[in-house]
Amino acid sequence: MTGNPVNYAQLLETNNLVQMFSDETYWLCVTRTTQESKLFPVPSYMMLSYLNAYYRYPSLLRKIESRMSMEELGDRARTIGGKTNTLTMGWTLPGFYLCGREWLINMGLLRPEDGVEDLIYVMDCWKRIQLSYHRNDGHITNKEYGHRSQLLPERELQVYEADLYDCKAGDALHTAANRFLATVSAFQFLSHCECRIGICNQGPYKFGDNLELIVRDFMDLGEGDYPWLDGVCAGMEYNNLTVPMVVKDTHFSLMDDWGSFESEPEFRAENIVRIGLYASDPLTEGRVPVAMESAQALVAKFNQLTEQVNEANGKLWKIIAAWSRAHMLEAGALVYFNIPKDLAHLAGVYEQSDWMEIDERAKRFIPLLNDEFGRDALTELVGLVSLPSQACNDYTMGQHHNAPKRMYSPIPYGILTNGDYTRSSGPLYPGSSLFTKTGKWRTSRGMLSQDEYNAAVRAFTPVACSSEYRFVDDYWVKYHSHDKAARELYLRTQENSRHLKGKGSGLKRADIARARGA
Amino acid sequence: MSSFFWDHNKYGEAEATNITRLYHTAIRKLVREKLIAAGGNWNSFVFDKSYDLITEEDMRRVEAEVLATGYRFDVSAVISAKEEPEKYKPLAGQDQKEATAEIKDGRQLVGHGDNVVTYPSNVSGTALYIHTTEEVMELLMNGVPPETVAVIDDSGGTLTAPILEHFKAIVCMGGSVRSHLGILSREHGIPCLMNAKVAGIRNGDRIELNVTAPAKTAQDYQKGVEKTAEVWKLVG
Repeated sequence: MTGNPVNYAQLLETNNLVQMFSDETYWLCVTRTTQESKLFPVPSYMMLSYLNAYYRYPSLLRKIESRMSMEELGDRARTIGGKTNTLTMGWTLPGFYLCGREWLINMGLLRPEDGVEDLIYVMDCWKRIQLSYHRNDGHITNKEYGHRSQLLPERELQVYEADLYDCKAGDALHTAANRFLATVSAFQFLSHCECRIGICNQGPYKFGDNLELIVRDFMDLGEGDYPWLDGVCAGMEYNNLTVPMVVKDTHFSLMDDWGSFESEPEFRAENIVRIGLYASDPLTEGRVPVAMESAQALVAKFNQLTEQVNEANGKLWKIIAAWSRAHMLEAGALVYFNIPKDLAHLAGVYEQSDWMEIDERAKRFIPLLNDEFGRDALTELVGLVSLPSQACNDYTMGQHHNAPKRMYSPIPYGILTNGDYTRSSGPLYPGSSLFTKTGKWRTSRGMLSQDEYNAAVRAFTPVACSSEYRFVDDYWVKYHSHDKAARELYLRTQENSRHLKGKGSGLKRADIARARGA
Repeated sequence: MSSFFWDHNKYGEAEATNITRLYHTAIRKLVREKLIAAGGNWNSFVFDKSYDLITEEDMRRVEAEVLATGYRFDVSAVISAKEEPEKYKPLAGQDQKEATAEIKDGRQLVGHGDNVVTYPSNVSGTALYIHTTEEVMELLMNGVPPETVAVIDDSGGTLTAPILEHFKAIVCMGGSVRSHLGILSREHGIPCLMNAKVAGIRNGDRIELNVTAPAKTAQDYQKGVEKTAEVWKLVG
């Protein structure tokens, strides 16, 4: 190894982050079985995606950071309901990279001391965007917060508290909203080839006695990065939709880093008592209301969206049912691999070939990926933690299982003595895909080409992320609510609110209740 | 010349599953041979020479060598066995198993599973096994019969995506309450048992699901708590 050596502090921090993932990934996986599907070869495509992630993420993250830092990306991501969220950043970004690394180690193709600078960089990127994205709750992950995520600032939550519509089981809004939630959830699993990354939840937020809010994001609904949605989703008006909902008699006791929740007692749709609908993308000023002018308009919009999604669901299912296994394997691997792609959209450097191709280095391993190997290798890697690289000395008692094993290999400190390590898996290699993107991208500014979309994003800075307001956070507002910057930012956030428009930054819960006429 | 790092794995034991052990062992042997042939310098091999020397064709040979021993793979996705039946074992279903429990009060215990959501009363309906895309397509074109309790060996949410909302209840012979089908059943408000073991259910049988049973939680799975809900066949 030549060039600037890595140092002890870098290794200590990186290994801490890697170990944290070892522990949490085991917890996330042990409560589920290996996800199989009769339609998609899921574990096999997961394994392929991990290799693509290992070979491509370092280069692609460096490309993104050449335009925008992870800290700024975290700030922007927090304002919208896109695919830069708890699920994609909180676990999958480093998780996929580490899974690829661990599998390669077990095939004898990599030592734990190879690609060290890449690993340090990927984990550092993750740390910086997570700290920024989670800045309002002050944690780095949901896990660190006891499986909870409170990402949103007061000014946005106040708008939800003021504007969400009351509903109760059996009324028109409740019925329409729930039918939409169920329909769009099913569609998201299908359009994402059986994986859950099209849906992410955050919260809970305290909304009064016996009331909690969770915020549900549904991403990549329209024509966009996935070529198989071209045409199928031509009728979809929005790429990302957010449904904030207030639930009674239910405590959301767990919101994990896969964006999934559990509650006590178990969640029932009949307990939803307030609901709303918002849309966003990298070109919007946060989440903007959709049909929130009246409850009747919202009912009509939910019903319209349900019909659109249902139609797309049927069309897409027929297309996918006719795919070859090679198409299913690749589509699933790409959906998994490209979970950080919205970072590139937010930075205005998105290129389809970066995110929707299988790198030739990963493609070599496709012949291994029959259903049984995919299932068993994945199960050993993240469930049993039984691969030879994962064995530790006999005295080790791993978190959650007390066994002498760790999911992900740390970087050995011995490299600081002997200098025997390699730095990087190399630049981006050529890739290929069985799919061809033919359409444009659905955005809040209409259908845009890739270049138009990138150019528009580069020319746009959301107000909340501008230099005047970027650091107006809740704790600053606590002692500066009458300052000009706080007042202006709250007023901008309230611009599209039915009940809070023009109310400013001094509001407390009782003021919100009065404003909504409760 | 550098030695091959894998030869000095102090705590490394063999992989736990047959196919993973077979494949990984073959690939490590391949890497060792190609490393030596390339001069033995690991650092010039790992991210450079190996990209050309370890090939897709090598991986095909690894698979071919395993298949040549008579080994056949378990199948999960229907498409896999459909395209390459010679590589896979035949699909085995639980629908051929026989019930062994006695009939009491017009009910026979034919299975149990993990309850996703507790409902105030049990649900009953007509059992219909769904295994393949062709079966889903037929239901999509002709409609799902009323009272259908889908018996599915797929914990995913995609196979039945376009017809899911029409099921009265679901018995899924795999996954957990946190699997995708469990999540979707909760969203749709469809009673559902996951991770079910059934025997003696045939298409057209009237069955009852004990969805008044406590729902299974993440903590239950983590701690290995047994918490199951029964499936009964309604007889007579």
